[in-house]
Amino acid sequence: MTATADNDWCELLRVRIDWNAAVKHVRADMDGAIVTFDGFVRNESHGRRTLYLQYEAYESMALTKMREICAQVRATYCIHRLAMLHRLGRLEIGETSVFIAVSAPHRAAAFDACRFAIDTLKRTVPIWKKEFFEDGAVWADGQLPAPPPPKTAS
Amino acid sequence: MPHVLPNLRVKVLFFGRVRELTGIAEESIAVPEGTTLTELFEHYQKRFPMLAAFRPSLVASRNQEFAAWNTPLASGDDIAFLPPVSGG
Repeated sequence: MTATADNDWCELLRVRIDWNAAVKHVRADMDGAIVTFDGFVRNESHGRRTLYLQYEAYESMALTKMREICAQVRATYCIHRLAMLHRLGRLEIGETSVFIAVSAPHRAAAFDACRFAIDTLKRTVPIWKKEFFEDGAVWADGQLPAPPPPKTAS
Repeated sequence: MPHVLPNLRVKVLFFGRVRELTGIAEESIAVPEGTTLTELFEHYQKRFPMLAAFRPSLVASRNQEFAAWNTPLASGDDIAFLPPVSGG
């Protein structure tokens, strides 16, 4: 497989995510499978009706972490290309907040890699969402990335 | 009188709920040489006592990498205090 990490597409956008462009980006004649994950805004949270969401990111670090995930995916699964796009700003119900596409010669690697990519993104990429309801707004309960162990004196 | 140590300057960023609490998205601050992430956070805790409640749920980063709390700062570092992430 000749593809390198240079072929991966990681981006934070403030406009609508173009799924077709992401799928086209990863699709090639050498592949036999593409798996995509489309994460979009749900109309409720714990029984409260959601009006809209607001996303923010530590953008430079988020992109670094997204590229690290691509590198981990490449080191672990036999895949061809990845696209990992996350939207920021205000998102309405039904709009895509995150889209991941993975191509591979065979489907098993594409499924596994896509699952790993979204699970790892949700745990390690510094992005936050605030949920707006009719009667207030809250920052979503997030996941705490594992901090490195304390530095020992050397 | 505290000892006068040479200062170093770092950039500090806050996000999400701690950005709202402090009212600071980003600022430049001078601190004594040898200051660790823990000590830098304690400085902000003095300015914003409500931050103390968030301390167990925060991780720190130094130059775009998650960093241990006892990491010493270097001049020009980008430091951030990150609440639990909730992307996706």
